[in-house]
Amino acid sequence: MTGTHTTGGSRLADPKKPRAPFTPWDRREIPGIFTVEESARRVGNYKWIEMRLFEVLGGWVATVPELDVKLRLGTHCYHHAWHSELWHKRLPELREMNPERLTVPPNDELVAFVDAMTEPEGPGLTIEKLAGAYRVLIPAKIAAYTYHLNNTSTITDAPTIRSLKFALADEFDDWRDGEMMLQSLIETEDELQRAIDHQAKLQRLLLAAGGITGPGSIGDSYSTQEESHA
Amino acid sequence: MRKAFPVEDLARDGRFVRVPLAERFDDPRTARVEQGAGKNKRGPGRLTPDRPDAPDAARALMHGIFVGEIQALEGAGRTCWDFEVGSGNGEGIAEVPFELKLDMARQCWDEARHCEISIKLSAHMGTELGEFSENTFLYEAACNPDPVLRLTGVNRALEGLAIDVFNTMREFGDIAGDPVLEFCEDWMLADEVTHVKMGSDWLRKLTANDKPRQERALEFQRVVDKLFSLGGFRGEEEDSPVRLARRFRELAGFEEAEMDTLAEIAKEAREEMEARVEANRAAVAS
Repeated sequence: MTGTHTTGGSRLADPKKPRAPFTPWDRREIPGIFTVEESARRVGNYKWIEMRLFEVLGGWVATVPELDVKLRLGTHCYHHAWHSELWHKRLPELREMNPERLTVPPNDELVAFVDAMTEPEGPGLTIEKLAGAYRVLIPAKIAAYTYHLNNTSTITDAPTIRSLKFALADEFDDWRDGEMMLQSLIETEDELQRAIDHQAKLQRLLLAAGGITGPGSIGDSYSTQEESHA
Repeated sequence: MRKAFPVEDLARDGRFVRVPLAERFDDPRTARVEQGAGKNKRGPGRLTPDRPDAPDAARALMHGIFVGEIQALEGAGRTCWDFEVGSGNGEGIAEVPFELKLDMARQCWDEARHCEISIKLSAHMGTELGEFSENTFLYEAACNPDPVLRLTGVNRALEGLAIDVFNTMREFGDIAGDPVLEFCEDWMLADEVTHVKMGSDWLRKLTANDKPRQERALEFQRVVDKLFSLGGFRGEEEDSPVRLARRFRELAGFEEAEMDTLAEIAKEAREEMEARVEANRAAVAS
C-alpha cells in the first residue's frame, strides 16, 4: 500500500470524496414490528420445535423399512439440529443469557401437537410419519419463518434474518423431498386416505396451538395497517 | 414412539437377510485352512488383489460396510431421540447435553452419506443389496441405556473399527488400481476420525468427575472391541484382513497404550477363533 492512486497515468476517483453510507440499491429501513423481547420469544419457540423435529426424524430412521426414506430422514435430521443450534446461539445475543429459559413451546396445545406427530412408530406407518413432518409441521415452520423474515427490522435484527434465510433454504428443500417421498409412497385410495386423515388430525391440533409460536405465528390478518405496524 | 428401540424391530425391506453372529462363526464353512511353509495358517488372510478370491472378499466387505453404515445411522438417530437434554452427569439418568445431540444429528447425516457412498460403491463392484447377510451387532452396541457407554461402544469401538476398515479398503483400492474405491474410502475415513473424536471427547467430558463410570465405559468398549475384532478379522498380524490404523486412531484421540491394549484384545480374539475353527474342522471330519 503506497497511497498511489494512479493507473496507466490517469488518476482514480478521489478517495476522500464523501459517499452515501447506504449504496443506492440498499433500501433497508429501520422499522420492524418486533421488539428484542418478542424476537427472543419467537427464537426460543423456534429452537424448541427444531429440537423436537430433529429428535423424531433421528428416532424414526430405525423404524422405516424404505431405504430411500431412511437415508433422507438421516440427512434432514441434521438440518433441523443445525437450525436449533443457530437459534440457541442467537438467544444470548437477544439478551437471554440462559437460553434454556426461552427454549419452550408457546403453549400446551403445541405440545399436544408434537406428541401426536411423534407417536407413529410401526414399520407400516411411514405415510403417517411423513405426512406429519412434511405436510403439517414444515409448512407451518416455513410460514412462521417467512412472517418473521418479512416483518422484523432489516437493520437491527439482521443476524436473525441471516439465520432465517439459511433455515428457510433447508426447509423448502426438505419439504420438497418429503412431499415427493409421500407422493411416491401413496399408490392406493386407502393410502391416500391415511395421509389425509393423519394430516387433518394434526392440522386440527396445530390450529388449536395457533402455529409454532402460538397465536400470531404469522401475524393477524384482521388487524388494521396501523395496528400491524405499530 | 418408544424411547428404546429393540434390535429385533429394526425396519428393513425384503432384500435383507439377518444371520446372528454366533451362527455365522459356528458355520463349519468358515474353517478355511491354508498350508504354508510347514505350518497351518488359519483365518481369511489379508485382503490383497492377488488373492484368487479378492473380488468376492472385497465385495463381501463392502456389503458389510454398507449394513454397518445403516446401523450406525440408526444408532445415532436413536441417540437423538432416546435421551432428554440435561447435564448428562448422572449415571442412569437418560440425559445428555444439547451439544451431544447436535453431534449425533451431524453423525446421522454423515452415516446417511456413507450409506449412499457404499451403495454406489457396491454397484461399482458388482454387488446387489442383500446379496450378503446382515448381522446386527453394531446396532446392539447402540442400545446401551447409559449414553456414555453407548457413545463409548459405538463411537470409539465401532467407529474405531470403521477407521481400520476404511484405511484397509483405501489401501486395497490403491494397490488394485481402483481410484474410485480409494477416493471414496479416503473421504469416509475423514468422517470416521471425526466420529471417533466425538466419542473420545464426550467420554472425557461426561466422566471427568466420575472415574467409576469412565472405567465401566472403557470396559464396555473393551468388550465391544473384542467382538469387533471378529476372531482375528482386525489385528496387527501380517495376515490380518483389517489392520489397526494407528496413525488415524491417534488423530481421533486414542492413546498409544489404548492401541496396544486393542492389539492384545485382537490377538486374543484371533486365538479363540482359531480354537473354534479347529473344533469345527474336527467335527466336520468325524
